[in-house]
Amino acid sequence: MTSSEAALALFDEHGTAVYRFAVVLVRHHQDAEDVVQETFLKLLRHLDAGGDRTNLRGWLFTVAAHAARDRQRGRSRWVAWLPAHDAGVAPPMLPDEDGRLKIARDALRQLPERDRLLLALRAQGLSYRDIATAARINPASVGRLLARAVARWAAERGRRRANEPERVSHASGAGTMGPPRASV
Amino acid sequence: MTCLNDSHIQALADGEPLPEAAAHAAGCAACAARVRERQALMAALTSAVDVPANMPPQVAESVSFRLKAEATGSQGATRLLPSNTRGFGLTSNTRGFRLQAEGKWLFSGLAVAAATIVAVLFVAPAIRKPDATVSASEILAKSANQLSGAVRSGIEVLEYQVVLDGVPKEMLPDQADGTYRVWQAIDHDVPGRFRFASYAVDGRMMTSIAEDPLKKRRVAAFTVEGQPYRFDVSLPANATNMSLPEMQQLHMQASIAMMQASGNQLLETFDGPSGKMYRIEVPRVTGPGTNPVWDLSEARVVIDARDYRITEFAVRGSFLKQDYGMSYKLINHVLAASVKADAFEVPPQPGEIVINGEGTAVPTHDVVVLALRELTKMKLGR
Repeated sequence: MTSSEAALALFDEHGTAVYRFAVVLVRHHQDAEDVVQETFLKLLRHLDAGGDRTNLRGWLFTVAAHAARDRQRGRSRWVAWLPAHDAGVAPPMLPDEDGRLKIARDALRQLPERDRLLLALRAQGLSYRDIATAARINPASVGRLLARAVARWAAERGRRRANEPERVSHASGAGTMGPPRASV
Repeated sequence: MTCLNDSHIQALADGEPLPEAAAHAAGCAACAARVRERQALMAALTSAVDVPANMPPQVAESVSFRLKAEATGSQGATRLLPSNTRGFGLTSNTRGFRLQAEGKWLFSGLAVAAATIVAVLFVAPAIRKPDATVSASEILAKSANQLSGAVRSGIEVLEYQVVLDGVPKEMLPDQADGTYRVWQAIDHDVPGRFRFASYAVDGRMMTSIAEDPLKKRRVAAFTVEGQPYRFDVSLPANATNMSLPEMQQLHMQASIAMMQASGNQLLETFDGPSGKMYRIEVPRVTGPGTNPVWDLSEARVVIDARDYRITEFAVRGSFLKQDYGMSYKLINHVLAASVKADAFEVPPQPGEIVINGEGTAVPTHDVVVLALRELTKMKLGR
């Protein structure tokens, strides 16, 4: 199997997971698409160069995480081109964005990068070993760092719930859209 | 064993416990409750984080395309819909125009028309390897880098639409609306071998320029005031001047470099006929110096996100303090192993005046000198 064939096979197997992972980290679907493209192009080069194939799933999420981080940092200096964009059009909403999951997701976005990465990796079902590879941390530390990240996320979620009771109630109860939100 | 710490609880909730921690939780109601609580928290977290988003089909298609393209290094072909894109609508007066080329000054008239044709066709659509960079600055940087590493073998055939405005348009009065369709072939296996041909909207050939180092010939055909001319000259043995494709490339690279220099790039992503496209616009770009020779008042480039090929390019500004505007839109791009035998031949035009002679390193210089020489012959023979 050539590198290209291997990369395509891995894309078939993990592409959607990487895409979902990227959507959570970067929020903008277009950015997520770019993350996926960049990740798998790097995978091809990795395979071409005879890189380690022992844990490609973990490798993919590592690269995707870094690509997502780069885009998050770059996004802030981009300027909308169309007048319509100048008005601050919100990005497409994720499923249930106006419901109870919004607070959970917003809380996630407030966490430090490493916490978000660990939680997103775990949510994708990666083992501790794979998470350690992707996040480049000691495997023995994964449980401890995850526990801290979960605690921070739960605390942030609780704080947001306390601060925005009306909005949660309104959005989840009536199923209507909330007020316009600024772009990330 | 004492009750479990958070790390052990987390590991148990995640199904990756140490054996002794699992044994403790099995016999400790408090720790078992904490594990259940953590499992519920993780379930809530997973439902928030694991977005049930399906990858758009065009993304999967695009990634597959690019993986294959990257692996083979191939260019493929692009076909876009015809454009209604027009020039920027500059208003300018016809003014004297002169161009300095390798120390020689050329003045208005026939040579200027020919020189302008050469000058305004400096558009380079050849973009190579794909990349996934997505910021405006990075896209431009990659485009510039890829321009310098354009196709190196085979024959590249391109068709594109060019709309001229400002001085270039004034210099070509036989095409009132400034719109041309350009056909271009570049033989990457024979350095310096190429042919350009521009056509009016009605299909009339306006100009064609071909150079063939193998045959040691350079042919330039164009029409001035309804009269077609054909300059057929020999290529000098030491002809190391820059070819038209190379000049095209330089012009595009210089324009992109100026766009990069601006800190005010505006980027938009949109869906094109073949998938996602990037549109980058720079409201105003000025070259270094207080009295710039070249100034872009507007620049816009549209890039295919699949392979980072430039499909549209438009600039407006001034060169030597004279307004100019040019827009370009790719219609077709094919990389072929071979083309028709006459692909690099300039076709004869009915009633054309043929002027033969020896060429130099400067094509526009040849046009002027040979035209004046013929004029002198006619005057002396009268």
